Amino acid sequence: MTLADRIATFRATLEEWLRGLYHGMIAHPAYEKIEAEAEDLEDAFMLACFPDAFGIPSPVSYYTAELLPFLEDEYQAWERRMWDRQSIIERKGHQYHF
Amino acid sequence: MTEFTFFGGKGGVGKTTVSSAYALECVDAGLETLVVSTDPAHSTADVFDQEFGDEPRPVEGYDGLSAMEIDPDREVQDHLSELKQQLGSQLSATMVNEVDIQLEMAHQTPGAYEAALFDRFVEVMRNAEPYDRVVFDTSPTGSTLRLLALPELLERWIDRLMDKRERSIDLFEKAAIGNNEPRRVMEGDPILARLRERKERFEFAGEVLREDATFYLVLNPDELSIRETRRSVETLAEADLPVRGLVVNRLSPEPDPDENGRGARYLRQRVETERDRLERIEREFDVPIAATIETRVEEVRGSILEDVAADLEIEVEDGDRAPTT
Repeated sequence: MTLADRIATFRATLEEWLRGLYHGMIAHPAYEKIEAEAEDLEDAFMLACFPDAFGIPSPVSYYTAELLPFLEDEYQAWERRMWDRQSIIERKGHQYHF
Repeated sequence: MTEFTFFGGKGGVGKTTVSSAYALECVDAGLETLVVSTDPAHSTADVFDQEFGDEPRPVEGYDGLSAMEIDPDREVQDHLSELKQQLGSQLSATMVNEVDIQLEMAHQTPGAYEAALFDRFVEVMRNAEPYDRVVFDTSPTGSTLRLLALPELLERWIDRLMDKRERSIDLFEKAAIGNNEPRRVMEGDPILARLRERKERFEFAGEVLREDATFYLVLNPDELSIRETRRSVETLAEADLPVRGLVVNRLSPEPDPDENGRGARYLRQRVETERDRLERIEREFDVPIAATIETRVEEVRGSILEDVAADLEIEVEDGDRAPTT
């Protein structure tokens, strides 16, 4: 293995590590934050659609019931998130990587 | 251009009689007319002494008159079973139960009955071309008229839902950078499509109600019904749907002056009170009294209905709207 090859390998490894570090420390948490925000919005949407799941009557729940067949994944994820979430702090805390 | 006339009012004041009589007047004026009843008790059937169903059917013995009866309970059931069917074909078995509960719940909320009725009204309005005039005999629940005042509110609600959905999809799309597949895509989202369809319906209903509909309230000369009527007038006015006129039904007949028995004295007194109340109605309401109808001894049906129609002084041709040419 020539010196040039070894330098090239070293640089490749270094680049991979750097990209990994950048991804792990900066890029990924940022994506996660956006996704979490999107999920929060989705939760709000679901809650506005199906408040009767919590015993709150809504004038449009008759209409929003029509959406249920299309909301399979969302509905399940929503319910899970509603169970998981002990407090808003706990939920928001997910965003920070200590 | 089809025009829509709604008759509302407290239960038992004679909305069916008045609206059937009004429909007869329309027919006499040469208009192709449809009577739509939403009373589960099916009193239109009694008035015309014929059975009517969910689809418009010509009324025997009256040329140019059709009638239909809507059963809101059945509408709710139909809606529910239709959704369940859709659910079964789209969802995994584990989710069906979960979602089933939610569905059942949504169809038992207090608004479901009205929502179903509203849906059906919109349906009738959409398919109204063959008729010049559609007369709605609304069900006794005060909320039916309230619901007619609601399209704008529902529109705004749906707007909010759509906005939330759009924002969350937008974020999901942004979160998917590089080769990642976004979890949701805006293009062809069935939820947004469904909501948009709903919104269009509400817009249509709101437009038709504001532009091609007139409202009449039927009342009896008694305190309760006057009070309820006042509330309805206010609700409708708030929604920019002014009431065109009041129909006072069930006025007592005055006895002949030479009669002086107990019954005659009673009647005279009643007529006196009713006259007072009529004056009060005239004084306190901004809405004019369009017609007064004397009470009938027998059930109103057949030829008596024509009598009542003659009593009705509501103008069939709309005075203050330019005729559409």
